[in-house]
Amino acid sequence: MAKNPQTPLSRTSRLLDLVPYLTSHQGIDLNILAQDFSVSSSQMVADLTTLWMCGLPGYTPLELMDLSFDSGYVTIHNADTLARPRNLTIEEAIALLLGLDLVVQSLPQDREDLKEIAQGLIDRLSRLANLPSRIRIEPNINESIRTLITSAISKKQAVKIQYHSLYSDEVTKRNIHPLEFRVDGAHEYLWAYCEKVAGFRSFRVDRVLDATISGPRVELIQSSASKAADPITYSLEVFSRFRDVAERFALDEMGKGSQSRGTSYSSQWLLRCVMASAGAVKLTSPQEIRSHIAATASGLLDRYKAG
Amino acid sequence: MSRKIERLINLTIALLATKRFLTKKEIFASVDGYEGSAETKERMFERDKDDLRNLGIDIDVGGFDPAFDDEAGYRIKSDKYSLDLGDISGVEIALLSLAAEAWRGAALDSAAQSALLKLKSMGIDSDLDSIPSISPAIRTPHTDFEIISRAISQRRTLSFSYLSKQLDIQTRTIAPYAIATQQSFWYLAGMDLDKESIRTFRLDRFQGEITIGKEANTFEIPTDFDILKSLNTDASNEIATIDIRKGKAHLMRSSALSVTDLGEWDRVTVPFFDLAKMVDLVLWHGDDVFVISPEHLRNSVIAALATIVDLHG
Repeated sequence: MAKNPQTPLSRTSRLLDLVPYLTSHQGIDLNILAQDFSVSSSQMVADLTTLWMCGLPGYTPLELMDLSFDSGYVTIHNADTLARPRNLTIEEAIALLLGLDLVVQSLPQDREDLKEIAQGLIDRLSRLANLPSRIRIEPNINESIRTLITSAISKKQAVKIQYHSLYSDEVTKRNIHPLEFRVDGAHEYLWAYCEKVAGFRSFRVDRVLDATISGPRVELIQSSASKAADPITYSLEVFSRFRDVAERFALDEMGKGSQSRGTSYSSQWLLRCVMASAGAVKLTSPQEIRSHIAATASGLLDRYKAG
Repeated sequence: MSRKIERLINLTIALLATKRFLTKKEIFASVDGYEGSAETKERMFERDKDDLRNLGIDIDVGGFDPAFDDEAGYRIKSDKYSLDLGDISGVEIALLSLAAEAWRGAALDSAAQSALLKLKSMGIDSDLDSIPSISPAIRTPHTDFEIISRAISQRRTLSFSYLSKQLDIQTRTIAPYAIATQQSFWYLAGMDLDKESIRTFRLDRFQGEITIGKEANTFEIPTDFDILKSLNTDASNEIATIDIRKGKAHLMRSSALSVTDLGEWDRVTVPFFDLAKMVDLVLWHGDDVFVISPEHLRNSVIAALATIVDLHG
């Protein structure tokens, strides 16, 4: 389906798809029909008016499609040639294939029967689209945890989670009151009130290791007053592995061999990023973190030399 | 504009309804909307054929019948035009609906919704009650999907600018084989036509426009190609033995093959594929991990630590 619903090609495409849809939904409400096709009602009337003029060569009432929609309900007759739905486009097939791959992984363990049916659909669609198992989706999010949290949000329930904090490298148990999922770049976050820190936090969904429903959600007013500490401003000198460094530190603009500046709320994050850059960057400031890095690295070096 | 749309629909109906090939002469004489000089009609028809092909409608050319003249004929085969998934059940429709809903708000949302409309046109009610309530969701902002998937399906090459490890922008041309996600990133794999070997590319490292090759069917995809395998075999698979402080380094523990309790520490074995990435991971964990073996990993870590001390001391 083209982005602009008004271009001749996207209208033609829609009209061709309208015929089989109407054939199987005789008497459908015109407004609902418009919604199903994601167009305005007036656009739908224009489409139906155009379709009314089409049919088999001859174009007498005998050959033209017989459409009626004056009453606000739409019926179609004499449209046998176009009555079967059109084949899927490649994009449509790919969308369904990737979606099905994810559905298979989201189904509970004890529903092997459904997994088998979904896999059968994948095989049929792959053949149809000439894409024998060429696309794979591997969520790094545990879909059963996601399903549980989604249901908790809609039922207004609190959830007990085990969460891996990456920078402090600790797994903690927290009781949280989830409000919504948010997406930032490649990652998905859960926005929730956390009892442990008595405030709102966002949690990376792929770092939620376990989740269970723990009771009803407490209604909380989201306060915008955050108790966030002041950010740390740091500067770096980059020597090599420029793409790795730019991605790790999330630097937007970086020339080669250049000085870069950034800010962070976590000194642990900064320390770990500089260490993990394995000598490709030098932290020039702040001095305390720089000294800390030197001490950590030389302590480790001594251990390796000893052992 | 309506005239053009009517003509395209009428042409589709005529070519679908015919049992034999229709010549251009017959089409111009019978299908409504072809007007003007012979040359105008000719041009109209050529454009209409292209438009229908762009909508994914295959027009067959053939039927050189010597009894008439040597003119080519046209028709649309009904089995290619229409969707044939065989018998489909309410449960299957429900699963397909879930698959389409997973795209809500993401890259292939509109393709998924139009696919769903076609499935619903088969007139089978979705049997949602027999499916547990799950809500899978795909979160992909990339919009390059459509062009990439078309290239794979039609076996066309792709050219694009790619951010190299040294932040240079390089132009790459590949025969695309497959796409996949891993750890939240999307990857495209294929034969790099300049380097003459199979490479994988991360979609978020593409710069600017992707160009699709003009010719279809220019290559074959090896039937045993598995993208997940090619993502994970940059180098040979090795196993490291590493001491990890109790309660620490969960990232590393998650891929552990074995764990031995040493008291304050655990001795774990973990597989790794890429030496540089493994060094990074070891260093990320600071003094909570200590490499025992293999020797070359240990030496690389020591060399990196020496550099870090030099730079920051």
